[in-house]
Amino acid sequence: MVGGGGPSPDVSSPRGGPGDPRVPRPGGDPRSRILGGRDRSARNVWIAVASTVIFFGVAAIVIVRSPGWPELKASFFDPAEFRYSLPKILSKFVRNVAIFCIAEVFVLLLALLLAVMRSLVGPVFTPLRILSAAYTDVFRGMPTILVIFLLGYGMPSLNLQGIPDSEFFWAIVALVLVYSAYVAEVYRAGIQAVHPSQVAAARSLGLSRWQSMRHVVLPQAVRSVIPPLLNDFIGLQKDSALVAFLGIIEAFQQATIIQQSDFNFTPFVALALVYIVITIPQARAVDRLIARDQRRRQAAAM
Amino acid sequence: MTESVRITGLHKSFGDLEVLKGIDLVVDTHQVVCLIGASGSGKSTLLRCINLLEPIDAGTIEIDGVAITSGSVDVNAVRRRIGIVFQAFNLFPHMTILRNVALAPEKVLGRSHREAEAQARELLERFGLGDKAEDYPDRLSGGQQQRVAIVRALAMQPDILLLDEVTSALDPVLVAEVLDAIRELADAGMTMVVATHEMGFARDVANDVAFLHEGRILEEGPPDRIFREPQDPETKRFLDRIIAAGRMEGLDVSGGS
Amino acid sequence: MRKLLLGLTVLTILAAACAPKSSSTTPAASGSAASCAVGDLNLHTPGQLTIATGNPAYLPWYGGTSIAGSDWKSGQYTGDPHTGKGYESAFAYALAKQMGFTPDQVVWEGIPFNKSFAPGPKDFDFAMQQISITAKREKAVDFSDGYYDVNQALIADNGSPAIGVTTLAGLKDLRLGAPVGTTSFDVIEQLVQPTTDPKAYPDLSTALKAMKNGQIDGVVVDFPDAFYGYADQIVGQFPPLGGQQEQFGLTFEKGNPLVSCVNQAIAALKADGTLTKLQNKWLQTDADVPVFS
Repeated sequence: MVGGGGPSPDVSSPRGGPGDPRVPRPGGDPRSRILGGRDRSARNVWIAVASTVIFFGVAAIVIVRSPGWPELKASFFDPAEFRYSLPKILSKFVRNVAIFCIAEVFVLLLALLLAVMRSLVGPVFTPLRILSAAYTDVFRGMPTILVIFLLGYGMPSLNLQGIPDSEFFWAIVALVLVYSAYVAEVYRAGIQAVHPSQVAAARSLGLSRWQSMRHVVLPQAVRSVIPPLLNDFIGLQKDSALVAFLGIIEAFQQATIIQQSDFNFTPFVALALVYIVITIPQARAVDRLIARDQRRRQAAAM
Repeated sequence: MTESVRITGLHKSFGDLEVLKGIDLVVDTHQVVCLIGASGSGKSTLLRCINLLEPIDAGTIEIDGVAITSGSVDVNAVRRRIGIVFQAFNLFPHMTILRNVALAPEKVLGRSHREAEAQARELLERFGLGDKAEDYPDRLSGGQQQRVAIVRALAMQPDILLLDEVTSALDPVLVAEVLDAIRELADAGMTMVVATHEMGFARDVANDVAFLHEGRILEEGPPDRIFREPQDPETKRFLDRIIAAGRMEGLDVSGGS
Repeated sequence: MRKLLLGLTVLTILAAACAPKSSSTTPAASGSAASCAVGDLNLHTPGQLTIATGNPAYLPWYGGTSIAGSDWKSGQYTGDPHTGKGYESAFAYALAKQMGFTPDQVVWEGIPFNKSFAPGPKDFDFAMQQISITAKREKAVDFSDGYYDVNQALIADNGSPAIGVTTLAGLKDLRLGAPVGTTSFDVIEQLVQPTTDPKAYPDLSTALKAMKNGQIDGVVVDFPDAFYGYADQIVGQFPPLGGQQEQFGLTFEKGNPLVSCVNQAIAALKADGTLTKLQNKWLQTDADVPVFS
């Protein structure tokens, strides 16, 4: 929008002179126009590249020249150990994948139930709200490993008919119980973030409280909390390693076995790479989801 | 002439602040009542009370002779018959336009999915929005979104339509298309209560204009009388300000250009 | 801009000049036959023999009742290294005496197993934790000579399908487990190759718990452990992995000259029969346990 009009100009001094603040200067980087000074974008790029190279170069030099480096390299970055351990770790990683995929499905469902319970309005629903709040407090309060231990060793020792013995089963149950507590809070934040005008519009159309929740609030709530949901899912993927405490040999345990057998830490580096490689695509996929959701939400936030 | 809406002695407070201090209003069937007044005078609150979005503190509201403010009434049933359109459109951003319009008829009126969508398309066509059916709200202009909001309310085939300053959030360029849509509805005989700042529109379309000031209706009557010969000094003061701001032309009320 | 370049230059100079930390256990210049007199030894803390082992410390390797102030808690299956009871504890004090230390110069350090072979300077002179000597491990640490020849055994409770099995083939369909990182586990994987995946537990106690729960049919343990009543029966013992007799050794930081002096002491203890005496006292070896064929 071009500046112009407004209060009557001072006709005594000519407009457009070099120091005239009334005339906007065209072109150039808007940031530098605000911050002052000439356009420096190309130069800035070179400075950025140079300082990055120097910084990481210096860090690399410091590390490689330290006296313990050869030992560290042999212990953590041994190529032969890497080649040996990677396939074994990957074959066991399949178990982690099974565990966290199955668990995540139930987590998303149970957490949704808990969040909706907590959001119910009206005095008749008080016991449900209390139950949901108590559940969240208990399972966020306990360390995950503790729940896994208690369920994985405790339940089978009850020796009751019909209680499964399988470590897989109890590990997944424990993870589901714990993570649902965290994810329920994420959902709740999402639900509360849906603007009340959306609910007003839905109710005004005659939709019941439940219909409004199901068709209008929850879809928006869930979409808006996808980043923290992914965060918790990634945490779950890491915590799937805890099932090792029940004896299941999953990827981390496999890495530990090789490590303790060979006295070498390279298997852990291999495992770390595996985890990073699977995490990055998830993050990018979610970024795309978020971008799409943001555009739509701006339309509603008027 | 039958009464669609009869409001008697309506009081409404938010906490300590009393926003409606005893409203009496009658809306006859097929009539358009415009509510005018400054912001904060209670226009929005009044509309939201009529369709029970806000609970009232005292007074009664009757729809077609039936009191809807007693405890035993089915709130959802009442809301089905009263449509409301908000200043901020409030379209559902995660659904297409078509779904926005067809959702409530399907879920609330129990129409089949196909039926609801077909009727939605028809309505959208009638208001010139047929080609937008598969778009999401963020692709539409403000005026188009507001018209969709009106269509969405109409899809429920309400007996009464409440319009809460539906053009106030719009670019002036887009206001006209929305007003035209409302005009059409009035011509078709829809009973409406319209809160608005558009005085020209009120003068043209309303059967009855009520001026709200600080929670009370200070003056009410046909638009000609209200705009040409306002009796109450507050009404006069309000209209003078409107004229001075250049928002009402073509009236020979005292002053103004 | 100039300030920035100046800052980066300073940083680079500092980094290049970064003096390496002097390591406390850097091996002394070797070459000459180092003296093994107590005063000449390359110790972590002079005047002390610092030995690392795990906590809890299990029978029959560590026994006795825990002494006041000790980090170790003795129980039905655990003991305290300070007591000199249990094979490794007794061996440690015998070794120390042979090298010229008094008992109160022996200091015990509790560590997780990983620390016994993690890279970098160690907080102890050597680790003693039923650690088996393997060629692969010798890339990371220096081992002393063996101080015990060990075999693996399978224990199970009454009613387990493992009871009565005499062949490796007979074990194939069983659910077996062992503490993680032990050669016990390798035995299952390589000698038995069971149809169900073997289970690796954080430690012996969890493996036993799982067996009591019926989640596994039997646990593989070091042979002497089998006699400690952890389970109802010893089903059998395994032939040596890869045909080579497994031995326990002490682990040292690589290049630590202390190893040669310790080896001298061990040789002496073997020669004068002390080692055998301790083994007979603390480890039950005379029972007739069949070997899986």
